[in-house]
Amino acid sequence: MSTQTAVQSRRTGRFSGIWPPILIAVLFLAAWQIFVVARDIQPYLLPAPSLIVTNFFTDLSLMWAAAFYTGTTAFLGLVFGTVLGLVMALLASRFIVVNHLVTPLAAGLAAVPIIALTPILNNMFNITSRTPRVLVTMIIVLFPMFVNVTRGLLQVKPVQLELMRSMNAHPRTTLKVLRIPNAIPFFFTGLKVAAPLAVIAALVAEYFGGPQEGLGSRIASAAANTAYGRAWAYVVASIITGLIFYLVVVAVEKWTTPWTGRTQST
Amino acid sequence: MSSVQTSHQAVDVQGLWKIFNEGSNNEVTALSDINLSIKPGEFISLIGPSGCGKSTLLRVIGDLTDATRGEVFIAGETAHIAREKQLYGIAFQQAALFDWRTVRRNVELPLELQGLGKKERRERALELLELVQLSDFAEHRPWELSGGMQQRVAIARSLAVDPPLLLMDEPFGALDEMTRERMQNELLRICQETGKTIIFVTHSIPEAVYLSDRVVVMSPRPGRITHTVPIELGERNEDTRETDTFYAGVTAVREALRGRSTSASPSRIEEF
Repeated sequence: MSTQTAVQSRRTGRFSGIWPPILIAVLFLAAWQIFVVARDIQPYLLPAPSLIVTNFFTDLSLMWAAAFYTGTTAFLGLVFGTVLGLVMALLASRFIVVNHLVTPLAAGLAAVPIIALTPILNNMFNITSRTPRVLVTMIIVLFPMFVNVTRGLLQVKPVQLELMRSMNAHPRTTLKVLRIPNAIPFFFTGLKVAAPLAVIAALVAEYFGGPQEGLGSRIASAAANTAYGRAWAYVVASIITGLIFYLVVVAVEKWTTPWTGRTQST
Repeated sequence: MSSVQTSHQAVDVQGLWKIFNEGSNNEVTALSDINLSIKPGEFISLIGPSGCGKSTLLRVIGDLTDATRGEVFIAGETAHIAREKQLYGIAFQQAALFDWRTVRRNVELPLELQGLGKKERRERALELLELVQLSDFAEHRPWELSGGMQQRVAIARSLAVDPPLLLMDEPFGALDEMTRERMQNELLRICQETGKTIIFVTHSIPEAVYLSDRVVVMSPRPGRITHTVPIELGERNEDTRETDTFYAGVTAVREALRGRSTSASPSRIEEF
């Protein structure tokens, strides 16, 4: 991503960097505001950006707490899902039998409709706890992590495997020295998909009862009370939370794996 | 070239066969009755058209694939033991460097697997990078280097554990002609400095002639050795590629590849 941006900035000159998207966003919001005011659109149809912003700042402290609650659920689900995905990927890459067993299972998990699952998990576990929500998030995270990391562990250049064999490397050594480093860029690709997804999962899981502290609960209750400006303000807070998750992953990737996204050596 | 010091040949291949899918309908005889003895310090090229089994032969010698029949000895050890003892280093057409390691740490890899200490590893790697004239790039990443430089790193890595034998599978195949000739000179210099035995797989007749003490000519279906062409160019220098002896060698190998027992220098070619 970083190199792409760099290349683009060289190519497009002054239309590059952070300003064009901001300009577009400002123009878009201005058009939205003008449209709502000029046409006298009711807030339940479409609230004006000014109303959303006002609500955002009046509710700021509550919003913080809500984002923190949902963010914590998402983070826990992300951690557990990632760890489980990694373990499954390691086993699947090591034992072909496990691969055949686990891959359909993971695909099955990916097809589980989270919405159908949440009420069931709410019954299985204590509905007043965070547990069912963390579990839902974990299941959502598991699939992209498992699929990407498995691919990274297995997609090693044949010539590199021959090299390891010529050096009489034990499979465990090959895993450590070649397969795992090779899988790291794939790991981050998975994580970049999984991280914002975890926030969405944690948020949607709140729609089915339980503690009312999170972003999802706030959006639902605001909408139910016809406080559309506030509902939208919480939607904005949710977007920001998801973005923060994504950007943290991007930052960690940049910091830990300087070789990704570069031209590969032969 | 260095004299024979041990009673063993550097490499001894005896009655070697490699048959893929033996017994089934799509049986392919990749190597048929290969016999080849290589003296310590000798530079041997394997040349032949695609599918003649030269890469397969190299892989059987390196114990990267099994022989169907016959035996391979490296310095008196079976190929399997030789691989376990790291009696050879290998370089491929692809440099096969690890992008997540610096150039120095790529060269250190074989030493790391041997369990050598950090400091010794580092010293040895820097020594080798000096040998391939890449000292300034020790802390660079592989992708920052040109193809020729990457290949030099791969050669340094293949020399890391100081094996008596180097197996090279078209290591310069992906390089442009100028880089290639420079790399050939580099390789000959490294050979002279280290006294290694080398088996070098190539498609290029001039390359084989320029580098080798003996050019082993192979032919496909089934893969076999048809001729062995001795080359006597003496000390190589800038003018070697212009000499009559060089052209004679090129002609002899070309004729051998065409399957003729050549008029160029019939007495010097052993036919199988």
